[in-house]
Amino acid sequence: MSITWDREAAAHLARRAGVGATPAELDSWVQAGLDATVDRLVNYGAVDNSVLESDLQTLTTSVVPPATAPLYDLSRIDGVRRWFLHRLVFTKRPLEEKMTYLWNLWWTSGITKVLGVTLMLNQNKTMRQYALGKFDDIVVAISQDPAMLIWLDNALSKAGRPNENYARELMELFTLGVDNYSQADVTEVARALCGWTVQGYTSADNYNGAKFFDNTAQHDNGTKTILGQTGNWNGRDAIRIILEYSDNRGSVSGRFVANKLWTFFAYHDPPDWIVDELAGVYVSSGRSIQAVVEHIFRMEEFYAAHARKVLVRSPVEYVAASLRQLEAKTDMSVPVADLISMGQAFFDPADAKGPEGDLEWINTGTVFARASTTNKFLTNRGSAGTRIDVNQLVSGKTLATAADVVNAFADRFGLSDIPPETRAAWAKYVDSNPDGSAGYWRNEPTRLDVKVRGLLHLMLTSPDYHLC
Amino acid sequence: MPINRREFLFRGIGVATVSALVPRFAVAGARNFEESLAPGAASRVLVVVELAGGNDGLNTVVPYTDPLYATLRKTIGVPAASVLDLNGTLGFNPVMTGLKSLWDSGRLAVIEGVSYPNPNLSHFTSRDIWHTADPALAQRRGWLGRWADTALADLDNPLCGCAISQSLPKTLLADKVVFPSFTSLSAYAYATDGSASSDSANQVAGFVKENSVEHEIETRNSAIAGVARDAASSSATLKQVTSNYVPKAAYPNNSLANALKLCAEIITGNLGTQILYVTYGGFDNHASQKTAHDNLLKAVSDSIKAFFDDLDGQGKASGVLLMTWSEFGRRPQENNSLGTDHGTSSVHFVAGSAAIRGIYGPAPNLASLDRNGNLTWQTDFRSYYGTVLRDWLKADADAVLGKGYPNLGFVNASYV
Repeated sequence: MSITWDREAAAHLARRAGVGATPAELDSWVQAGLDATVDRLVNYGAVDNSVLESDLQTLTTSVVPPATAPLYDLSRIDGVRRWFLHRLVFTKRPLEEKMTYLWNLWWTSGITKVLGVTLMLNQNKTMRQYALGKFDDIVVAISQDPAMLIWLDNALSKAGRPNENYARELMELFTLGVDNYSQADVTEVARALCGWTVQGYTSADNYNGAKFFDNTAQHDNGTKTILGQTGNWNGRDAIRIILEYSDNRGSVSGRFVANKLWTFFAYHDPPDWIVDELAGVYVSSGRSIQAVVEHIFRMEEFYAAHARKVLVRSPVEYVAASLRQLEAKTDMSVPVADLISMGQAFFDPADAKGPEGDLEWINTGTVFARASTTNKFLTNRGSAGTRIDVNQLVSGKTLATAADVVNAFADRFGLSDIPPETRAAWAKYVDSNPDGSAGYWRNEPTRLDVKVRGLLHLMLTSPDYHLC
Repeated sequence: MPINRREFLFRGIGVATVSALVPRFAVAGARNFEESLAPGAASRVLVVVELAGGNDGLNTVVPYTDPLYATLRKTIGVPAASVLDLNGTLGFNPVMTGLKSLWDSGRLAVIEGVSYPNPNLSHFTSRDIWHTADPALAQRRGWLGRWADTALADLDNPLCGCAISQSLPKTLLADKVVFPSFTSLSAYAYATDGSASSDSANQVAGFVKENSVEHEIETRNSAIAGVARDAASSSATLKQVTSNYVPKAAYPNNSLANALKLCAEIITGNLGTQILYVTYGGFDNHASQKTAHDNLLKAVSDSIKAFFDDLDGQGKASGVLLMTWSEFGRRPQENNSLGTDHGTSSVHFVAGSAAIRGIYGPAPNLASLDRNGNLTWQTDFRSYYGTVLRDWLKADADAVLGKGYPNLGFVNASYV
């Protein structure tokens, strides 16, 4: 295998398999080598994440007066957002959270319609449970998930009056893709899913207590023909048939999954050979998401130059990467609050399709919104909220000249390869007096404080940092 | 196939060296935008005001002579003697002195009974239907987004429209045009260190420079840099043209007025901004409606009046039309919590010199409610949109809306 495993390659993998790594993490990844690093990412069950879990336990239960609720109040969607963002930033199992985030985008559900905050939290936990499992298992789990049953109306689907909303999106958006099934299939799948509903969905407990209920009285027990297969199919049968469905080229769900996973982890519009290769892994592994993802991380093509820095970071990824690579302390208050102005109402997508993503995240308003949020992180000199420790970040660095200051940080944010003009612009900024003339920089506390914070802001708002 | 936004942002036709040394528009250049507007549409502005939550039309424009109104609204009804009469049978809620004054000066049209077939009573769904002008919810783009893709895309103006909002309303979602949304002028700027204001200019200069690297071919990096440069230059221009703005009216103290004032600032700045979108929420009055709703209506009425007074003073009123919408009305029968539940059709307003004063559509028919006790709708909202598209924006309304809808006639089509 001819993948050059260097710091750049490790940083690229870190950005894709998680939200990015700190310099210390990159040191250890480079030293461990590609195989061991991929192994550790994929088999994350072996990685001790107890610090994260115990921190979250405290943050979601401990009430510190004068507050009357925990900092991450899981009875409110704001709390669930903070909880998930915290995991993305601080987990020792980056791929577990990144896959959960992907499932969050893939299997859309939104609090505005679902209403029950606990239902959204539980759905997120289910996604994490099946982050790298068998695709069949996650499809069934999500199809029986109360939030999803409400979001796409399958909870309303009864024998004689099947609701087609979930059946359609199950095939169109979640497993096969548009044009790979017929309207007749939608109707028949809807019939097979009749009776998969919720019980206990009531305003009395703010819709938080709903549970999956397989209402056999509402099953449609007639013969159905789904994608050419005829029988008295139930919900699990329908899912199995959908996932097993093949055409001349091979597994249709395999190509769908291959496309989505490659698009998420590598780049858009994968050529046929990649789709077919990954679909083959999907089939031969018994439809294992873990097998496909691991395969991706070992492919030369994944590390190719044209695969690097070509994905636009979503607002969530941008904020998480910033917090992680700044090694910031945070209560997640500003990060979560600002996500909406960056275009991503986390757990509240505009529609079933979810965000378009890619360059859609970037417009003049969101560019300023991202700059505003990172500015808040970087200029908070207090001891609460989201803040950085400048002294910690500069510790051990040579800071004699403005160029030194730039060099001290470029690597931290994966920006070592930026064009010389940008490097020069950053150095010029560090060395600029208030009137714009040169000669400002000296390594002393006041100058350090202003220019390091300002420089980090420039780095985080440069075009490269919106890419991963 | 229409170019999607990705391709638009790339602006990539062959090799292009993207030089940012010339800002996309300097202050003097702001006037160039007006020259580049399509003839006839030059300096026509549409302001869209969303009343979020479902505005109770019956307590807004009150059918005060209908005995059924008093029966249905025993407690929260508007007393007949107090209404500001419009035509002998309908009258404004008495708090709406501002809109009444626009009506008296001939600059307000009242559009009754607006909804669509099989009205949906979910905020979430009905709002989307209004945003996209498609009850089947098959359209991704907003109705003004679809218009903008044909009418504004070639103008290359980053401020051809905007939303005074935290996030882009779906009405403005387009493929080829990117409308920014911001809540204040200071939000539409590169944020800098508040504790180091003497360094602020250096920070902004650094931001512009790092987004000004020349690229031989368009990449995602250069596309993002292009957006950042657009943001920086449009922000600088906006700041400069609005720094001279002095309001010519006293605006009330509420978020709608603040947003409309910002709209007036932008309009006065002559940047070629043609669409402005603001939202005002709180209309979902399921309980204790009377005082809360009256306050909202007063805010709406006073703010819109102040907005037009300001525009009059700035000499810009003749080029502006304002329209309201809401995702639905409320049920005629008040509920047990002294409020109202989700309803169907409601009343909307169009204000401006091109509006032809009148009441369009029949008064609400309280004798003939549907099986949910809701008003049967009279006017398809696409007629409402279509009239604005055709007669104010001079657009191919049928193309935007998918087919032709009757023109309601509330805009003077020969207005100049």
